[in-house]
Amino acid sequence: MRRILTATTALCLAALAAQADELKLGLATAQTGGLAPYDAPVVEGIHIAVDEINATGGIGGSIMIELNEKDVRSDTAQTSISVQELVDAGSEAIVLPCDADPSIAAAAIVDAAQVPAISTCASSPTLPLIGGDYVFANFPGDNVQATVSASWAFEQGMKSAFILYSPDSQYTTMPLYFADVMKALGGEILGEATYNIGQPDFSAVATQIAALDPVPDMVMTSAYEPDFPTFIKALRAAGYEGQIIGSDGIDSPTTFGLGNVAEGVVFTTAGHATAGSPLEAFNALYEEKTGSASETVFNAVGYDLVKVLEAAVMAAGSTEPKAIRDAMANLEDVQGATSLITYRGTTGMPVRQVSLIRVKGGERELVGQPSPNADLIPAPRMQ
Amino acid sequence: MELTSSRTHLVAALLAALAFVVVLALVGDLVGTSVERTIIVFLVSLTAISAMGLYSGNSGILSFGHLSFMGVGAYVSALLTLPTHIKEATLPALPGWLASTGLGLWPATLVAVLVTMAVAVVVGLAIWRLEGSAATIATLALLIITHGILIGWRDVTRGAQTFFGVPRDTTIWVAAIGCFVALIISRLYRDSAWGLRLRAGRENATAAASVGISVPRERFIALVLSAGLMALSGALIAHFLGAFSPKKFYFTDTFFLLAMLIVGGMTTVSGPVLGAAVVTLITEILRRLEGGLDLGFMEVPQVFGTTQIGIGVLILLALMHRKDGLAGMKEWEEWLIPTRRAAVNPKPLSPAESAPVIAENVTRRFGGLLATNKVSLTVRPGEILGLIGPNGSGKTTLLNQISGVLPPSSGKISRGEQDLLKLPSHKFADAGIARTFQNIRLFPTLTVYQNIQVAALSSKGGRDAAARVAGALQWLGLEAVAETDAGTLSYGDQRRVEIARALVCQPSLIFLDEPAAGMNREETDALMDILRRINTDLGIGILLVDHDLALINALCHRIAVLNEGRMIAEGTPEEVRSDPAVIEAYLGTFTKQSTVPT
Repeated sequence: MRRILTATTALCLAALAAQADELKLGLATAQTGGLAPYDAPVVEGIHIAVDEINATGGIGGSIMIELNEKDVRSDTAQTSISVQELVDAGSEAIVLPCDADPSIAAAAIVDAAQVPAISTCASSPTLPLIGGDYVFANFPGDNVQATVSASWAFEQGMKSAFILYSPDSQYTTMPLYFADVMKALGGEILGEATYNIGQPDFSAVATQIAALDPVPDMVMTSAYEPDFPTFIKALRAAGYEGQIIGSDGIDSPTTFGLGNVAEGVVFTTAGHATAGSPLEAFNALYEEKTGSASETVFNAVGYDLVKVLEAAVMAAGSTEPKAIRDAMANLEDVQGATSLITYRGTTGMPVRQVSLIRVKGGERELVGQPSPNADLIPAPRMQ
Repeated sequence: MELTSSRTHLVAALLAALAFVVVLALVGDLVGTSVERTIIVFLVSLTAISAMGLYSGNSGILSFGHLSFMGVGAYVSALLTLPTHIKEATLPALPGWLASTGLGLWPATLVAVLVTMAVAVVVGLAIWRLEGSAATIATLALLIITHGILIGWRDVTRGAQTFFGVPRDTTIWVAAIGCFVALIISRLYRDSAWGLRLRAGRENATAAASVGISVPRERFIALVLSAGLMALSGALIAHFLGAFSPKKFYFTDTFFLLAMLIVGGMTTVSGPVLGAAVVTLITEILRRLEGGLDLGFMEVPQVFGTTQIGIGVLILLALMHRKDGLAGMKEWEEWLIPTRRAAVNPKPLSPAESAPVIAENVTRRFGGLLATNKVSLTVRPGEILGLIGPNGSGKTTLLNQISGVLPPSSGKISRGEQDLLKLPSHKFADAGIARTFQNIRLFPTLTVYQNIQVAALSSKGGRDAAARVAGALQWLGLEAVAETDAGTLSYGDQRRVEIARALVCQPSLIFLDEPAAGMNREETDALMDILRRINTDLGIGILLVDHDLALINALCHRIAVLNEGRMIAEGTPEEVRSDPAVIEAYLGTFTKQSTVPT
C-alpha cells in the first residue's frame, strides 16, 4: 500500500513538474461555417503570437504554449462538446468562438471546471456577465465604443443626436449606449428610430431625420452592411448634412468605396496602424510570417489574446487555471498589438483603447485613440 | 389504433430500441465527459430524425420544415422552465402569467409538445393537400416563416439574440428516455393502420384512394405526430445547451439532420438509427483527424473542413449506391425474423349494396378532345358487364369517371339515392365500388398481405379486417406469396393481387381494367374461373374492360361497345356481335358481311 502511495505521489509530482513547463491552451473556435470569417483570422493571429513566444523559450522563457485546436463548425452543440473535450484533455485556458450562443453554452462547462475562457471577438458586454467568473471577452465592448464616440462628439461641440438602432442583435443596439453617454455628458437625444437587419429601404427614417427642427448635430448608428450604405445614401439624399457616427462594423473596404456620401463619417474601431505603433509592428510580422498583408484587424486581435494570456501566466507565476483566471481579472495595461488592455475593475469585458477613424477622400484618417473614461461607460444591458 | 405487423416483430423492435438507448446511456454515464456529451447530442439528433422520418419516410414528402417544430418546442419549453429572475432581466415584456411560470423539464416538455402539435394542426390545414415537390417547397417556406417569427417576436424570444439561462436538465438518461419514446412512437406509427395507409399512399396515391384511403388525412396525422416528437427533441436540445438562438433551428441544422436521415434511409426506423450512428461515427473520426496527427513516418497537417467534406461524400455515396439509405425499405427484424400471422377464419366477402350504378350522359373533355360523349351506362350487381371498343375509344376514361378517379365534365352518376359525383374518390370503396387499373397500381414495396390488409383496414370501417384479408387471399389463391413484396411478383400474380385488393373492400361492383393483359392462356383461364365464381358465389357485379374478346364473350352477360367516345351498342354478346355499327367500328366499312371475331 505504501509503495502504491509513494508511486502515486511521485507520478503526481512528475505531472505537476511537466505541467509547469507548458501552458495547455485549448481552441474551440469556428474554422468552418458562419462564424469562420471572424474566428479564422483571430486564430491566425493566435498562431503568430504563440510561435513568437515559443521561439523565445515560451512564456517567461520557460513555459511553452501548447495548442489543442478544435473546429466547432459554428455550431452551439459542437462547441459544448469540444469545450468539454478540451477540459477533459487538461486545457488550462480555453478560447471560445466570436458569438454569444456557443460562448454562453460553453460557459457552464468552463465555470464548473474552473478553467478561464476568452471569446475571440464577441463584443457584447453582457457575455462575461452571463458567462460567470471564468468567461472573458477580448474585444472592445459595445458600451466602450459608444462611450468613446459620444465623448469625442461632445468635445467637438456636437450636443444633439439622433440614434438609429436595431433590436435584432445585441451589437446593433450600440446606439442605446451612445444615447446613455450623451445624456450623461449633458447632450440631448432628439429622436430615435429602429430598423430591421437587411431592411431594403431607409427613405422614411431619412426624411424624418432631415425634417427634424432643430436638425440634430449628429446621427449615430451601429448598422453595418448592407444596411449602413443604404441608410447613409438615403440620409444624404434627404438633405441631412450633419455628422454621421458609426462603429467598427463599417470598418470595411465598402465604406471607403462609397464616395461622397461617406465623406466625413467617423467611426470607432479596435486599432489603427500609425507609424511606430505596435499594430504596425504586428502587421509587419504578419506579412513576414504569412507572405501577405493582414487584411483585417481581427488578426491583431488574436495576437492581443495571447499577449493577455502571457501576462496573466506571468502574473500568476503558474499555469494553474484558477490562478490564471485570478491574475487575468487583475491585469492592467497589457500591451497588445491594437491597444493597451485592462481587465482590472471590469466584469471580464476589457477596457481597451478605441481608435476613431474619419473617412476622408476614400482613405482612413486617424482622429484619435482615446482611452474611455471608465465612469462614463454604461452598465451592460441584458435585454 | 390497430397494429398491422406481427407482434413478434414489434416486440423485437421495441426490445432492441430499449437495449440500444440503455447501452448508450450506460456507456455515456460511465465514461462521462465529452463522450457523454457526444452521446447526448446523438440521442437528441436521433429523436429529431426519427420524427422527420415518421413524416417524410411514410409520406414520401421530403420536409425541410421540421426544424420549425423543433424550434417551437425549444422556445416553448425553455420559456416555461426559465428561472423567473432571468425572465425579469432578459424578457421584461413577457406577459405576467408566463413570467411567473416555473415548470420542471418534463411538464414543460409536455406543454411544448402539445403547443407544437397545435401549431402543426394549423400548418397541416394549410398544406395537407399538397403533394410531391409542392409539399416540399411548402415545408421550406414553413422553415423560413418560423425563423422570421422567432426573430421578430422579440418580447418572447429575445429575437436573434441568445436565449440563455435555460436550466441544463437534459442529462444522458433524460436524452435516452426522450429518444426511446421517439423510436417507439415512430415504430408503432409505421406499423399502425395510419402508417400503413400513408405508406400505401406514398407508393401509389390513386390506388390508395381507390381502396378507401384519404391520403391527405393520413399525411395530416403524420405531420402532427412528427411535430410533437420534433418538439420533444427541441426541448431536449434547449435544456442541454442552455443557450440558443433562432439560427439553431435553421438551414445548417436542417441539412445536418437530413444528411443523417438520407444516409440511413427514411422509410424505416432502423434507418434513422443507422444514419445517426454512421454520420456521428464518421464525424467523430474525421474531427479527430482534421486537427492534424503524427503517423510516425509522416505528419498529417491540420485541415479543418474535412468533416463536412466527409459527410458530403457519404451522402453522395449513399445516393449513388443505396438510394433508399443503408437500411433499405425494411426494418432489420423484417429481414431477419420471418413473418408469422395468427390463422384467421376467412370471412365470406358478400356485398352489402344491391342498387345499380347509373351513369347518364357522362361527358369528359380533354381540351378539344371528347374522350366520352354523352355516354349512359348501368352497372348492376350480380351481372358481368363487358366494356369493349377499339383503342382510344374512351373505355378507361369512362371507367375512371364511374369509379371516382376522374370527375366528368358533365353528366350524372348515381347509385340509389346517392349522387356519386359529390363523393371524394376515397369514399367510392365504401359505396361498394372497387377497381383495378390498366397499368397495375400496386404498393410495390409492401407485401402482398399488406397490400390487401391496408385496403381491408380502410374500407367498411376496418371491421373483421384479418378475416376479410384471409378470404381475399383464398379467393385469388395468393396464400403462398402473402409475405412476398408485391413489386417482385410476376405480372399475372400482380394482377391477381390487385383483384384481391379490390375484393377485400367487400364491394358489390368490381371494375376490372384489362385484368388479363400480360397473362398467358392458362393464367387467363384460371382468372376467368375465379371471376365467374366471384360473380356466381358472392353475387358481385363485374364491369370488365378487355381486348381479349374471347374472354369477354365467354364471361359476360351483357356487353357495351364504345367507339370514339360514344356508346354504339349495348346488349347480350350475340346481339352485340351481329350489330353492324360494332362490326364497322372494329373492322371498317368494307366488310359488312363479316362478324366480330370470337
